[in-house]
Amino acid sequence: MSSTLPPVPAASQSPAETIVEAIRRNLPHVPFAEGQTATDTDLAVAPEHLLALVTGLKTRKELAFDFLRNIAGVDMEAEGLVCKYQLYSFKHGHALQITVACPPDNPRLPSLTGLYAAADWHEREAAEMFGLIFEGHPNPKNLLLEEDLRIHPLLKAHPLQKVEILQGIEEGPPGFKF
Amino acid sequence: MSPYVAFGDPIFGIWNWLDVVVRTVLLVTVMTVVVMYLIYGERKVVARMQQRLGPMRTGPYGLWQSFADAIKLVGKEDIRPTGADRWVFESAPFATFIPVLMVLVTLPFAENWGVRNLALGMFFVFAVLGLNIVGIMMAGLGSGNKYALLGGVRAAAQMISYEIPLVLSLLAVAMVAGAHATGDNALNLNVISTLQEDRPFIVLQPLAFLIFFTAMLSELHRAPFDIPVAESEIVGGYFVEYSGIRWSMFQLTEYAAMWAFSIFGSIVFLGGWEWPGGQDIGWGWQLALTLGKSFFLILVIFWVRTTVPRLRIDQLMNFCWKVLLPMSIVQIIANGFILVYEWPEELLTVTSGIGAVVLIAIIITRALRRPKQSLVGAYRQVQVPVR
Amino acid sequence: MSIWPEERTYTHADGFETVDMTINIGPQHPATHGVFRMVLTVDGEMVVDCEPYIGYLHRGLEKLTENNDYRQAMGFWDRTDYLAGMACEGAYCMAVEKLAGIEVPERAEYIRVMLMELSRINSHFMFLGAFGADVGSFGTSFVYAWRERERIYDLFEEVTGDRMFPTYFRPGGVAMDLPENFEPRVRWLLGSIRQGIEDLDRLLTGNEIFVERCTGLSPLATDRAINMGVTGPVLRATGLPWDLRKAEPYSIYPRIAFDIPTGRQGDIFDRYFVRLAEMYQSARIVEQCLEQIEPGLVLNPKLPKNLRIDNGECYVRNEGTKGEYGVYALARGGNKPYRMKLRSPSFCNLAGLREMVVGNYVADAIIILGSLDIVLGEVDK
Repeated sequence: MSSTLPPVPAASQSPAETIVEAIRRNLPHVPFAEGQTATDTDLAVAPEHLLALVTGLKTRKELAFDFLRNIAGVDMEAEGLVCKYQLYSFKHGHALQITVACPPDNPRLPSLTGLYAAADWHEREAAEMFGLIFEGHPNPKNLLLEEDLRIHPLLKAHPLQKVEILQGIEEGPPGFKF
Repeated sequence: MSPYVAFGDPIFGIWNWLDVVVRTVLLVTVMTVVVMYLIYGERKVVARMQQRLGPMRTGPYGLWQSFADAIKLVGKEDIRPTGADRWVFESAPFATFIPVLMVLVTLPFAENWGVRNLALGMFFVFAVLGLNIVGIMMAGLGSGNKYALLGGVRAAAQMISYEIPLVLSLLAVAMVAGAHATGDNALNLNVISTLQEDRPFIVLQPLAFLIFFTAMLSELHRAPFDIPVAESEIVGGYFVEYSGIRWSMFQLTEYAAMWAFSIFGSIVFLGGWEWPGGQDIGWGWQLALTLGKSFFLILVIFWVRTTVPRLRIDQLMNFCWKVLLPMSIVQIIANGFILVYEWPEELLTVTSGIGAVVLIAIIITRALRRPKQSLVGAYRQVQVPVR
Repeated sequence: MSIWPEERTYTHADGFETVDMTINIGPQHPATHGVFRMVLTVDGEMVVDCEPYIGYLHRGLEKLTENNDYRQAMGFWDRTDYLAGMACEGAYCMAVEKLAGIEVPERAEYIRVMLMELSRINSHFMFLGAFGADVGSFGTSFVYAWRERERIYDLFEEVTGDRMFPTYFRPGGVAMDLPENFEPRVRWLLGSIRQGIEDLDRLLTGNEIFVERCTGLSPLATDRAINMGVTGPVLRATGLPWDLRKAEPYSIYPRIAFDIPTGRQGDIFDRYFVRLAEMYQSARIVEQCLEQIEPGLVLNPKLPKNLRIDNGECYVRNEGTKGEYGVYALARGGNKPYRMKLRSPSFCNLAGLREMVVGNYVADAIIILGSLDIVLGEVDK
């Protein structure tokens, strides 16, 4: 029954190889490691090379990744924070994921707001949720959380609990006391 | 025609000042009831147009709904914001209400049925209605709220602009009335009614009626000119901070003004209590004529409100200064030539009719200048080949 | 001095003092479609700055998803875009299926597509109604739209047992088969929907004031729209025919013929019109699905009792009602996702609000916000 389903489009290998090759050809000075997720090609770069890589990806005509889809922070606990960028090229129809692993004690990344206006809110969200620091962000305020709240709820260490308890405003678990 | 200029005789031969008080009290009572049923009627009419039922629970078909609302509103706490300017804030509802009441004083509901029959009735009406804006500005500035401030300033801009086409359209009618009336009483509303024994003035001056109706919508802040009270932008505008009895004063003012304007319009343009056959049949028919015509105008206002969106302030001003004002001035000039040289009366109908057609044509051509074709029916033409 | 502390005062050289006037719109305001707040700095009626504030509806969707297992967490996801709950469920299920390598029976795919497209129609009806109210038509468009929405919700209730938040999809299919009278019901519903669209088309597109208000207002260039991360109808209104159902096809969309309506200059009228045209296309899709669907299983019978995913990472995107609804999922063992991130289209479209609003009238700011068609459940996660 499932044999009549159309083939899954994004996982095909041949165009993915050409993306990586094209990137290597166009940006020889940027070191990165390639990988593959279930949907996209994945490039792993160090934080200091991120800006060079993304600038090249956006400006080179053969690459033309003009659309920043998404920025997702991930807390890998002992290995530190990781930031994932999903890019897309309207010109070529290529999708790409960039993985930037920060060192555990230094969650600093360059901000992409100069290249993509879309990065603004995504970076603010990742910053408040994980404590990532995007250097050069024009408006590094909290977005979804309260403005003066300095907690990072999506860290694995953060308990599943009311914020008021963590801040000491309320005591004990929520709910009625019987 | 001079008897209509005289004040009405005091009822039951009582003193003149007591007569005024009695008539005013009667008028206010009637007005309150009428306003309550206008609100009920609006809710019902709008509900009907929107495929709803409207109020159904309070009494048969929800007939007592407005009374229940009024009792609730009177019982509510009268809240005054801390930032409000106390006396300005608290007296603003009365400052808006009194001009409307003063307009009602001079309107003849039937032959000699009114509080006072003023010789300069028409002049008095738009002179007094212009004072409405004082109360609205007081509410806007005194509330200490920016929505109210914006609403008040918008209302001021809008009312000052639309006062001009309104007055000019009435001036056109006054010219026609002045040509027909004997003596200098052409501005008396009773006289204007009697002059329409054969045909209402809308036949002679259709363009003036259109301009009057448009300007009336604007003066009343009804859609599509409800910019000062824009519900989805500034949440009620100048009366956003009011509650309870003061808020209901604003509501009362709004609907009373609507009623007063409709009666005024029906007297000036639609023949008032006179046409058709008012003097022959009697006061019952006259009363029915006045009220029927005014309620018809109000129904049109409700209808417009239900269907059209709101204009933006610059579009509103453009429409006033670039379309309505030139057309009313041209109409006055045409009237002047026709009346001074005593050309036949039908020429008034022709010139003003052409003007009205042009005005409607402007609106329709703009509406037809739509950027894309309509989607209606597009779906049905597409036959989808299935694999 | 101003009594509002956030306002800046300027003292000019001649001693004249002026104050920036700020207007706070929201969180409780009829035009914000939920709990959204924006602070407009105005010069008279002209907006010179706009600062959006979101997060009033933040429920910690991602944290909750990390702390519940794959099947439990789905209930949270249809609360994101609550106008089209099924579309969100679809995206979530696709992400989990992609991670775990679960296959979906063909019939289930058809059922999903039908319900997702009906959800899209539902959401766009909400847009049309609320947008008409934003422009100021006193709720008439709202009630017209609501009539059709009620009928769609009635169908959802019949099929899934719930109206807004059905939780009907499962990783590997859907929870139960369709009721027997589904096909005649849907055909009747599509006729009703088409009638409703025509009514709204006549009411709004046929109204001169509406067209006058919307045409040429806040036009958006395609390049800029892409750079701002705007997707969905707002991007298509700029003239780019980019729809994930065609660009990166998923599910059974490759088998179905439909068009991508586009606008010309990306102004408010184009956005409205693109959505209106999309509703016809969605109706077409549902109709084709009804013709193609065959009897069969609706849930993969080889599903594990306890869904555990050892390792995997994916970014699944599908065309939600407001734009690209992306789900980033990362699994590192166990029966809970290690990380799930929602790329919500409303969030990204709203990020461009400031640029669109500045330089327009206050009244137009409301319309521009309405034309983005945000759903606060999705913006705030």
